[in-house]
Amino acid sequence: MDARVEKLAAEIASLGEAEQKALLERAAELSLRHGLAELSENYRKRLQQQGELDRTAEDILAKLRQIREEIAAREYSG
Amino acid sequence: MSILDEWIVFDTNIWIFGLRRVPNIPACAQLLECLDRLRVVLPRQILQELQANLSENEITTLFRLLSRFPGRLRISWDKTSPQIISKYQREGCKLGDAVIAAHLEELDIKILVSENRDFLKEIRNLPFRRLSASQALAELKQSTT
Repeated sequence: MDARVEKLAAEIASLGEAEQKALLERAAELSLRHGLAELSENYRKRLQQQGELDRTAEDILAKLRQIREEIAAREYSG
Repeated sequence: MSILDEWIVFDTNIWIFGLRRVPNIPACAQLLECLDRLRVVLPRQILQELQANLSENEITTLFRLLSRFPGRLRISWDKTSPQIISKYQREGCKLGDAVIAAHLEELDIKILVSENRDFLKEIRNLPFRRLSASQALAELKQSTT
């Protein structure tokens, strides 16, 4: 195992139970934020390439309404 | 029950505005960052709407992130009840909105977070509350202090 990871694991293991729990929760929170930021960046990049990034909120809502009706009609008509 | 204890549904616009980081609605991105503290249900109609908006890679990445919190995410791939859909249509809902309302009623969800202010506005006695992203954030803040 990577020496840095081994050192971190040892440090975490030396913490009390409550601290370990708080640390793991904080790590999960930061990991989610980083993951969302990366996903968002890639999504925005794709929208930019497609000329779709600067749509207004109203435009986006209108498009989402249209998609909603199309999917519902496909799934539930007849 | 507080928003922390309830299973809630994010409308598709919350996911999309949040991931797009729409500048005038920052609450959507902020709410997504709180997913590790909420209990979120993804009904079939919203899953399909996300699939229509995001690429395969983007969907995979989103679900990989969400799967880190298995106790806080429920995916419901079941179709919803045509009888409940018809009930909402009779009250004036478009088919798509009726499907969303029927999913929530059938899954016994008490909170829908949406940035669509007109969504289901005309329906009386909804079995769930509608909150904007900023209202949801305010409730979350209140519940954690």
